[in-house]
Amino acid sequence: MSTASLAGRWAGGRQFRPVVLNVVSIVAFLVVWHFASALVNSPFFPPPYKIVQAFVNLAQHGDTMGNSLWAHCWASLYRVLVGFAAGVVLGVPLGLLMGLMPGFYAATRSIVEPFRFIPPIAWIPLAIIFFSGLPRFAFLIFIGSFFPVFTSTLVGVSRVEQIHRKVAVVYGASRFYVLTHIVLPTVLPDIMGGMRVALGAAWLTIVAAELSGGTSIGLGRMMVNYAELLQISEIVVGMVLIGALGFAMNEILLSIERRLFRWRWQVTL
Amino acid sequence: MRAEITHRYGDLLVHDGLRLAIRENEFLCICGPSGCGKTTLLDIFAGIVKPSAGEVLIDGEQADPKRHNISFVFQEASTLPWLDVRANIGTGLRIKKRPKAEIGRKVDDIIGVVGLRGFESYYPHQLSGGMKQRVSIARAFATDADLVLMDEPFVSLDQPTREKMQREVLSIWEHRRRTIVFVTHNLEEAVFLGDRVIMLSTKPARIVADIPVDLPRPRNPVSADFTALRARCANLLQEMHADDASQESASKHEA
Repeated sequence: MSTASLAGRWAGGRQFRPVVLNVVSIVAFLVVWHFASALVNSPFFPPPYKIVQAFVNLAQHGDTMGNSLWAHCWASLYRVLVGFAAGVVLGVPLGLLMGLMPGFYAATRSIVEPFRFIPPIAWIPLAIIFFSGLPRFAFLIFIGSFFPVFTSTLVGVSRVEQIHRKVAVVYGASRFYVLTHIVLPTVLPDIMGGMRVALGAAWLTIVAAELSGGTSIGLGRMMVNYAELLQISEIVVGMVLIGALGFAMNEILLSIERRLFRWRWQVTL
Repeated sequence: MRAEITHRYGDLLVHDGLRLAIRENEFLCICGPSGCGKTTLLDIFAGIVKPSAGEVLIDGEQADPKRHNISFVFQEASTLPWLDVRANIGTGLRIKKRPKAEIGRKVDDIIGVVGLRGFESYYPHQLSGGMKQRVSIARAFATDADLVLMDEPFVSLDQPTREKMQREVLSIWEHRRRTIVFVTHNLEEAVFLGDRVIMLSTKPARIVADIPVDLPRPRNPVSADFTALRARCANLLQEMHADDASQESASKHEA
């Protein structure tokens, strides 16, 4: 018990220090920004407090078209979540299937792999023709998040150790048991890593898709509207919100990972 | 258990008409030079590798991990890194879909027997090699296996730990009798543990000797009877190597 509480205090200490350091970093960043802006003294380089003002204004009154800031955030977030979920739901089983049937993967490699190099943005013209509304955005985000999840699952399967499979088989395990209790726990860290990469790709794609039009709502759309009005501060508010939402989702995934993979040892140099 | 096995791996003849019968609750040690197919033999006994010809019968039925209660202690570390000690030991029982209460009770029992009390919630990476192997042994004995197959389980342990583990396995076996087939290339280990020692030849493996060990337990490795028997096994092994060497030089002469 005493070692456990000691370990707990250690972890607490370890979490506290980075928080302080990060607050210091943010303050330093804002100070530098402020003075740089004062030095340049141009309406195209607003200081941080102007961004805060723009944010408060947007949050209270909405944008020029009457859409609230939360509607923009939620629209983008919702599209990301739907497309991202589709990428995971298809990427994991396909990665497992191809990983467990190397012959199948080898036979279809020349079809699967080139798709990986077509960036999601290159799909925008087709998506505009074939889809509208949510399906268009969800499709593009799906394209962006599928391959990171699929590829890392595929790679993860090769990490499954023969001896672990043998342990299960010797006790009479079925193939399904081996899949769910030996293969999946081994691959799960890779899947989670792939999901975090996919999340980055998803946010990249949503902004590009919204910039290309077809909607009046969404953070990307809001930024384009203000760009046409040359209102820099509102554009920066959109950028900061995208960064903050992406960061929050990443932190959620990381905390799930920490909870799930307590069995993994931490390498420190 | 009875077995009659001929096994080929590609063109390579691994086992050449091996025939043996193992009594219930017998502690059988199989000794042989490295590379003679001992691990494959255990895989065949476990029913996870099919022999090219012949069969393995347990109580008159073809050996099958889904039907028989078979346990395996592997040579290399085989604990599952994502499960803690308690969950690792329960693996076999969970696969066999035993009721939760029974699993809890049996895992708890065996944790005491192998001396892992207090380490129940540790993960394998927090344990030493000897403790990990103890987890594997506990996992093998937690299910009431009809047949426990052990493949050089102590080969990676240092001498004191190895001796301690040998005594522990004997005491587990004496508490809960079951049939054990223990593969080793260490003659002293075989004579110390087994009711019977079977000596295999180099590939293709044949049984060259079947030596009953009727020394009283607990055995004393420095007693005259023990060293005499160990010497007898060692001589057999030496003759085998001599045979191989003469055969080799003969074939060189022909060439």
